[in-house]
Amino acid sequence: MKLDPKIPSGPLAEKWTKHRNDIHLLSPNNKRKHKVIVVGTGLAGASAAASLSELGYSVEVFSILDSPRRAHSIAAQGGINAAKNYQNDGDSVWRLFYDTIKGGDYRSREANVYRLAEVSNYIIDQAVAQGVPFGREYGGLLDNRSFGGAQVSRTFYSRGQTGQQLLLGAYQAMMKEVHSGRVKMYNRHEMLDLVLVDGKARGIITRDLVKGTVHRFEADAVILCTGGYGNVFYLSTNAKNSNATAAWRCHKRGAAFANPCFVQIHPTCIPVSGDYQSKLTLMSESLRNDGRVWVPRNKDEKRHPNDIPEEDRYYYLEEKYPSFGNLVPRDVASRSAKMVCDEGLGVGDTGLAVYLDFRDAIKRDSKEVIEAKYGNLFDMYQNITDDNPYEMPMRIFPAVHYTMGGLWVDYNLMSNIPGLFVAGEANFSDHGANRLGASALMQGLSDGYFIVPYTVGNYIADVDLPKVSTEHEAFAEAEDSSKKIMDKLLAVKGNKTVIEFHRELGKIMWDKVGISRSKEGLESAIKEIRALRDEFWENVNVPGDANYYNKYLEFAYRVADYFELAELMAIDALDRGESCGCHLRDEYQTEEGEALRNDKEYAFVSAYEFLGVNGKLETKLHKEQLEFEFVELKQRSYK
Amino acid sequence: MSLMTINLKVWRQKNAETPGKFEDYKLDGVSEHMSFLEMLDVLNENLIKEGKDPVEFDYDCREGICGSCNMVINGRAHGPKHKTAACQLHMRTYNDGDTIVIEPPRAAAFPIIKDLVVDRSAFDRIIEAGGYISVKTGAAPEANLIPVPQDTSNEAFDYATCIGCGGCVAACPNSSAALFTGAKIAHLNSLPQGQPERDKRTVAMVDQMAKEGFGDCSNYAECEAVCPVGISISSIAAMRRDYIKAIF
Amino acid sequence: MPSLIEAFQSQVGRKILTGLTGFLLVFFIIFHLAGNLAIFGEPDAMNSYSQFLHDLGPLLWVARIGLLLIFVIHAYIGISIWINKRKARPQQYKVYSSKGGPSRQGLSSRSMAFTGVVLLIFVVAHINTFALGDMDTVLIDGRETHDIKSLVIDTFQNPIYAFGYTIVMILLGAHLGHGIWSAFTSLTLRSKKASATIYTIGVVVAVLLAVGFLFIPLYIYFGGGCDAALIHCN
Repeated sequence: MKLDPKIPSGPLAEKWTKHRNDIHLLSPNNKRKHKVIVVGTGLAGASAAASLSELGYSVEVFSILDSPRRAHSIAAQGGINAAKNYQNDGDSVWRLFYDTIKGGDYRSREANVYRLAEVSNYIIDQAVAQGVPFGREYGGLLDNRSFGGAQVSRTFYSRGQTGQQLLLGAYQAMMKEVHSGRVKMYNRHEMLDLVLVDGKARGIITRDLVKGTVHRFEADAVILCTGGYGNVFYLSTNAKNSNATAAWRCHKRGAAFANPCFVQIHPTCIPVSGDYQSKLTLMSESLRNDGRVWVPRNKDEKRHPNDIPEEDRYYYLEEKYPSFGNLVPRDVASRSAKMVCDEGLGVGDTGLAVYLDFRDAIKRDSKEVIEAKYGNLFDMYQNITDDNPYEMPMRIFPAVHYTMGGLWVDYNLMSNIPGLFVAGEANFSDHGANRLGASALMQGLSDGYFIVPYTVGNYIADVDLPKVSTEHEAFAEAEDSSKKIMDKLLAVKGNKTVIEFHRELGKIMWDKVGISRSKEGLESAIKEIRALRDEFWENVNVPGDANYYNKYLEFAYRVADYFELAELMAIDALDRGESCGCHLRDEYQTEEGEALRNDKEYAFVSAYEFLGVNGKLETKLHKEQLEFEFVELKQRSYK
Repeated sequence: MSLMTINLKVWRQKNAETPGKFEDYKLDGVSEHMSFLEMLDVLNENLIKEGKDPVEFDYDCREGICGSCNMVINGRAHGPKHKTAACQLHMRTYNDGDTIVIEPPRAAAFPIIKDLVVDRSAFDRIIEAGGYISVKTGAAPEANLIPVPQDTSNEAFDYATCIGCGGCVAACPNSSAALFTGAKIAHLNSLPQGQPERDKRTVAMVDQMAKEGFGDCSNYAECEAVCPVGISISSIAAMRRDYIKAIF
Repeated sequence: MPSLIEAFQSQVGRKILTGLTGFLLVFFIIFHLAGNLAIFGEPDAMNSYSQFLHDLGPLLWVARIGLLLIFVIHAYIGISIWINKRKARPQQYKVYSSKGGPSRQGLSSRSMAFTGVVLLIFVVAHINTFALGDMDTVLIDGRETHDIKSLVIDTFQNPIYAFGYTIVMILLGAHLGHGIWSAFTSLTLRSKKASATIYTIGVVVAVLLAVGFLFIPLYIYFGGGCDAALIHCN
């Protein structure tokens, strides 16, 4: 396996422009003859499908949900970053680039991240033109808020529903193209396999989730926009149907999986309340703009939080990081919360929570101002917990939220399989070891609107793509192997449900491959994952049949894939003998408990090649060395 | 924490072609902190262990924004609480021993797929008919070129928050999709960017709504009452106003 | 763009027409009530009014045909909405209830089709009784004219008519209780605040009209026709 990132030469600020000028173009009447498959309809998928169709390609789009509008991008709350500098506070493309690469703890590619910052401004233009109702100032111009990991206000927002509004913008743009007839939409269809012909991605196998039937689709290129794999942990802020199956099956067909251990744990989520819990709910990070995070100073504090006087409150973020305070990046905030809870200072029934307090903000700005900013989040909190956050502090705790790792891609967002492109959270590309808040929406839309449409065209123009038929044996083989997995699962007829297995897997992952990791813990996690995986294949109880709508069968094959991916995550976490961003190894910390990077030995992207599963996951590590020409690697400090 | 026993009466239907019927289930050990859907998860775990077919229902984000869940609980779309999607409904709303009847949204335009799962692609086709502003990627002008008054932007946002769950259709005595369609028309038509296509959009979406087999709006306003995000029926009035403007 | 005819066949167009025709019918009803109340005026007031209307000649026919058209459109659309509603939900809920709050669902709104159909039948019967019924003639200003007043007084001595009318007028009130507000909403009333106010005004107007109409038959019946204190017969 050869991993060439194909980064264009030249100065950082000119790479993308130069690359676009060098890209091969297709004439409009030729584009029509080429078919592109887009899997997933979140920000990346919907925007890519709309943009490619506008260019004239024939596009087929697949969503596992009943409507493309339901993709999980819809749940992003806080906002989207862009380097507009509307606030005149010194922002620039360079600063957005720098903050992102620093926030990612220098484990991403300079060229990719710079391009992301560069196109960020166009996303805002595009969204506004589509009718996305961003927050505005009295004068009618766009407003910004500040967000973790940055000292400028560059985040555009639609109250607490920015992801929803941006996704609906992209969805509507795509539906406009469905109307034009160039986009064909397949709802409730799940990709089960990638089909390779002559080493190139030439199609996919899908399952019609309503009828249970398996289908073949051929194309000249496949763009995977299927999101992240946070649901490996069972409990996460991901939607229940978010899954890694499409990406994992591409991996099994030869696509390298990069940085699987980089998982972001979001600091502000509603704590777990019981073992029936099916998912965790995130409270936007923007709350940290006005909320103050604290725990009682004394372990055996029994008083109601409102009765605890100032001197007995430990505002640990403000004390430890005076210059960023409550606005430290997510990884730092999550880790700090875990540390104070490990010390026994946690609050609530479980002791696994910290306070996020708006008392001072309400005193300073009035309840109305706070309500205007966060009203819907406060309502949501109250609805779930039955506590009123206007009157008492919220209780929050970190939860798995986003996966920076994903399928390896080059500068063109193409995987090592020619013709397989990967966009959005599904790729590993831009966030390094930690993603800054309001950057996921930026990356999804940047990939979909402004990068993939160019680079896919370049690929199609560049390579020879003889016509393939879905009768080709590669399609038959892939269809057969997809069906066999389902048949095998249904044949087990064991005693434990899929959810029980998933919950157990999630617990191993949270305890040992979660906020902090150790060599010992990871080694034991790998053993436990293997043992549980063996048990799964012998004792899982999958109800019903494959030939009709069967949600638990879907869960079963997704969980089967998580079992393999989970092992890869632990293997990668074990291999990475440093702490960086969200990856904290207990063995590698500064004296103050900060992540200790090892740039000499680990300034690389881990990219794994799948060799097989035989009791254990057999895998081969390839390293893509990260070159830093333009930024100086520094120990991150938010003090 | 108090645990409850809940009696369920759930609509079971194999597929669109096979007639359905109600099944009764008794569920013990229901915690008041469970969400309504988590309660159904527990029911399904029990059913699977008993070798029975689990109840299919639509869900995804479970935080009230994706619009997947839409079931009719004791005769009300999304259950008894205002501005609350079924996934955000918690069992503390119920008492020990309560009987809860769960039905799918019933409308000819939403054919049943299985049990409580219905096909809502009619909504996609209404959007496809004109629920967008035609701007090609890359062709957009600078974002701050056109100022939009804050009130206008806020109003547009209020309509744009529709989650497309179809609760409005489920609750409407006429099975009308006027709130869904009106919300999108009102969102886009209220913004300066939406003006060029205003007339065309309004007429096309209104026509599509009827083609899909939704009923007429009789101003019951039940849709607003069940809407998980509280979209106002003033959106329907806005749709009518713009329709009149479009034809004269 | 659709033609006007096409536009008024669309769901939105139909609703606008329903609202518009509904409004016109409400205006008509108000005038009609004013005419009816003439029964309490001078002995000849009601018949003079009738004569005045007949003197309009062709204009009266224009008004009658116009009114008929408005009524037919209103009823036709109302019935077709009801039929459409059955088509749009072939299988009913086992349990169904309103969620309250902003909902305007209630006895009045749920029974629009029923009250509408009753009113339709009533109008036919009403025309048959009072416009086409056998009437004596009286002399007003030296000219012969129909003695509608006597016909009214005679008719409502009959309990079936008196109470039948009363029930129908209650149904009319129910129809207007939702109808007046609904017409405003159909004719694009958007403000939430105004909407609540108009709803209340609509209900008040509906009650006043219903009471106004049903007062006459009941008063005649219980008052004993020409013996009633407020009625002045010649």
